[in-house]
Amino acid sequence: MPALQESNAQKRKPEEVMEKPPLRSSTASIPISPYETSSSKAVTSSKSSSGPQQNAVVFSPELLRIYYDRLFPYEAMYDWLSYGVEKDFFNRREWSFTIQPTPEDEIYIRYQSFKDLEEFKSAVIKRQPNKIDIGAVFTHQPKDHNNLSKDVFHTEERELVFDIDLTDYDGVRTCCSGANICNKCWKYMNMAVKVMDEGLKTDFGFNNLVWFYSGRRGVHCWVCDESARTLSNDARSAVATYFELPLENEEKSLDLNTSLHPMLARSFGVLEPMFLDHLVGEEGMGLLSNQEQWVKLLKTLPEEARKAGIAAELDKEWTKRDVSPADKWKMLKSRIEKETKKEGAKKQRKFKGDESERLEMWPIETVFRHTYPRLDINVSKMQNHLLKSPFCVHPKTGRVCIPIDVSKIDSFDPFNVPTLPQIVSELESYAKENGESKNVPDWQKTSLKGSMQFFLKTFLNPMKNEQRKRRMEEKAKEEAFTGDF
Amino acid sequence: MFTSSRQSSSKASTSTTNFFYTTPPSYELSLEDFESFALSRLIVLRKIEELKVKGLDRNQYNDALKRVVNLQLPSSGPSPSAKKHNEKRDLASHFILRLAYCRTEELRRWLLTQELALFKFRLEDLEKRGGKDMSAFMKNAGISFDKITQDEKQSMQSQLRFNMSYRDFEASSFYRIPFAEAVDLIGRRLVHVRAGMAYVPGGKLVSIICARFRSHLSRSLAKAAASFSHVSSDTRIGPLLKNMNKQYTGRDFGKQHTVEGDMNASNVDEYAQRSMPLCMRQVHDGLKKDHKLKHDGRRQYGLFLKGAGLTMEESLLFFQNEFTKIMSADDFNKNYAYNIRHSYGKEGKRQSYTAFSSTTIIMGPRSNPSEVGSHHGCPFAHSGDASLAALLGKMGIGGKDRDDIMAHKKNKMYQLACAKHFEVTHPGAAKTEGVDLDGVGNHPNAWFNSSVQYWKNKEPAKKDMKGKINTPMAKVERAVVSPGSGTAKEVV
Repeated sequence: MPALQESNAQKRKPEEVMEKPPLRSSTASIPISPYETSSSKAVTSSKSSSGPQQNAVVFSPELLRIYYDRLFPYEAMYDWLSYGVEKDFFNRREWSFTIQPTPEDEIYIRYQSFKDLEEFKSAVIKRQPNKIDIGAVFTHQPKDHNNLSKDVFHTEERELVFDIDLTDYDGVRTCCSGANICNKCWKYMNMAVKVMDEGLKTDFGFNNLVWFYSGRRGVHCWVCDESARTLSNDARSAVATYFELPLENEEKSLDLNTSLHPMLARSFGVLEPMFLDHLVGEEGMGLLSNQEQWVKLLKTLPEEARKAGIAAELDKEWTKRDVSPADKWKMLKSRIEKETKKEGAKKQRKFKGDESERLEMWPIETVFRHTYPRLDINVSKMQNHLLKSPFCVHPKTGRVCIPIDVSKIDSFDPFNVPTLPQIVSELESYAKENGESKNVPDWQKTSLKGSMQFFLKTFLNPMKNEQRKRRMEEKAKEEAFTGDF
Repeated sequence: MFTSSRQSSSKASTSTTNFFYTTPPSYELSLEDFESFALSRLIVLRKIEELKVKGLDRNQYNDALKRVVNLQLPSSGPSPSAKKHNEKRDLASHFILRLAYCRTEELRRWLLTQELALFKFRLEDLEKRGGKDMSAFMKNAGISFDKITQDEKQSMQSQLRFNMSYRDFEASSFYRIPFAEAVDLIGRRLVHVRAGMAYVPGGKLVSIICARFRSHLSRSLAKAAASFSHVSSDTRIGPLLKNMNKQYTGRDFGKQHTVEGDMNASNVDEYAQRSMPLCMRQVHDGLKKDHKLKHDGRRQYGLFLKGAGLTMEESLLFFQNEFTKIMSADDFNKNYAYNIRHSYGKEGKRQSYTAFSSTTIIMGPRSNPSEVGSHHGCPFAHSGDASLAALLGKMGIGGKDRDDIMAHKKNKMYQLACAKHFEVTHPGAAKTEGVDLDGVGNHPNAWFNSSVQYWKNKEPAKKDMKGKINTPMAKVERAVVSPGSGTAKEVV
């Protein structure tokens, strides 16, 4: 294999802002050509591991090569990111590759661009990136950016993207921390996706949006409506902060207004049942399942209320008799309701105004603290922010970043997501059973089939139809205008 | 634009000033008016910039702004003819500055920020005066919004009424506005959004109109930039526009030679002792001590020195002299010279970089004092109380002076602390002629320039003022400085 011509992997200049700072090697040397190992060897070695196993090989250059040769959905990606514009559009999209010429070295190459499907495909196959990131569409081809001044070279459009990551839940999750996840804490993602999906669709009227598993511990959302793609950075920030609650500080009050914004009121309606299902009980985070935990929760009641003995009374009652966690929550709420209700003819409140309001909002604040989406909003704010491409394989888990069906989000299991060794062995089994069928696309021979079909059927095809329809309408309008029938 | 069209100005007169500036004026304007109008507006806009950093409360800010607007850019007048003249001044000056400030991204941003503040001030004032003036203004500016019907309002009551008393809700009209136009309100969750439309109560329209003005002006500036070369080729107004621009860049310390100074590699030390703000002094002393500077420090100090008039060759020489005390000249050339040439726009992207403003330094990365060569950042904002107090003590600042500076620091008013530092090290600066204290505390180079001026005036015999600028816009500068802003009290 000839050495690669790395025209874009130049020495990074000091002023070049990296949106997502690269990994270890900050001064990229000229990468050498990647793996020379024969691919057959690697597949055999991982043949036995059909499912995710500890210590099993989940990712290797050899497996990756097969994935890029046969499985990565280049056509679908190209179709998607062209948005029906045939000329001079796809080529202005920034791609960035993380490549690993040697195991110790990781190189992050920004400002790649490809003129068409063929070029895109052959670049991926040639470079074998561990990770592919998608950036914005620029005014010019990003690969020419070095020769262009900032005044003319800038972002033109970009999907509105959201990134939600379980590491941001470390303050509340009790099961795992850091990069680790389990089925318990994955529920946070379900909650976040539900709230965000509804908000983006109902409030902002976006239709063409799709969610992806990020490959490890989070989810990504790509909003692809034209109105979303052309949003200014200010508008992006506004949408992101619209959804944001200041949850990063566990001590700080959310300062919710008693007259809740309609979006938050709706979200509470979605989240409270999930809070009861997944967080208060033993099988979830156990917030109300044992004394140690509920005392901790009761301690977060406003001080005046605690002084008035609410916490102590409830604690006593719950210790005395067996109350289910969900019922504990009900008791807690009705107790608070009683305390904050205006009583008697004079409509006197037990606590003074502020205090009473804080207590009134406590159940909502508590539910939000434990369930409300925690966005990495910097990803959403700028057009020029890169986000990992769907259908990448996560190098640490070997799992493919597949789309998530929001209507079936409750049954999405991150541990069931196809892994690289799994799909490669599925390819082999298929060949053994049915022979190398050229008529069937390779992805159909693997468990990626469901994901791909979902992606095409519910996202890509409807969006393409919409685009086609709009173009026809525009054309008709134009023709009516010019009178040229 | 301002050339020779001879239309009568009568049709331009309206009952409300159109400070949305949709149409450029077309009437004759004497060159003298052209310049003085622009100057009036520049005074107002620079005042706005100055007021913003003072941390005033809303009323103080509005009062102070009102005073300068009434003086420089009144929108009404005692007589119809005076009123007309004032309107003409307002309109013309806006378009003149639009031209003069359209050339670079930075100038455009500056103008946009200040103009938007002025716009908001006036719009709020207008709103206070009541519905009639407001609707006249909106009509004039061609602004209309889609008002929802009473039925719609009632049917959406449960969503629209949050955060509002029943009475306010009943009295309010609601407008349906694409959410991208209401970003400010959306981002703070102040309005209801549905299907991409924000439902904005009448009382919050100011924010929407401001956003429209912002995008209108931003687009116009971009357009103006495209035709600048054409306009500036006019021999009468071209030099005026360009000078206005040059004058500003001077204050901006972006390019070189903002001071007609004589800085060279061998006298940087001297300047450091006497005329550098604490942030630069700290880097300088650190460099002298460690013979090494981390990247952030090299950027901060290198660009500052460039803004202070050190040429690229001298800058290379200066840093080389220090660095080669611990490394070979070869290593220096290999590892550091590129960056210095780069910041002078001689390498890579060939962009000439601007010296950091105080805000940039304050918001920028902090240094790590335990690391060799790490001295960048703002000592007021980034150092602990004790180490700042010690640093001041080392520089001979003690007693009440030190307490005052420390008090500002503790209140997180770092720029005031910096200005105070200037005040105590340059006694009587406010009363010294020719010393412009406007930017002290806002920009290290302003601090430096003011200090150099100060010492020049203290020792007038030492040098003649051969660098005295004599362009028309130098007048602007002087005029901008003179009314009211010449005292240290106002800066601090």
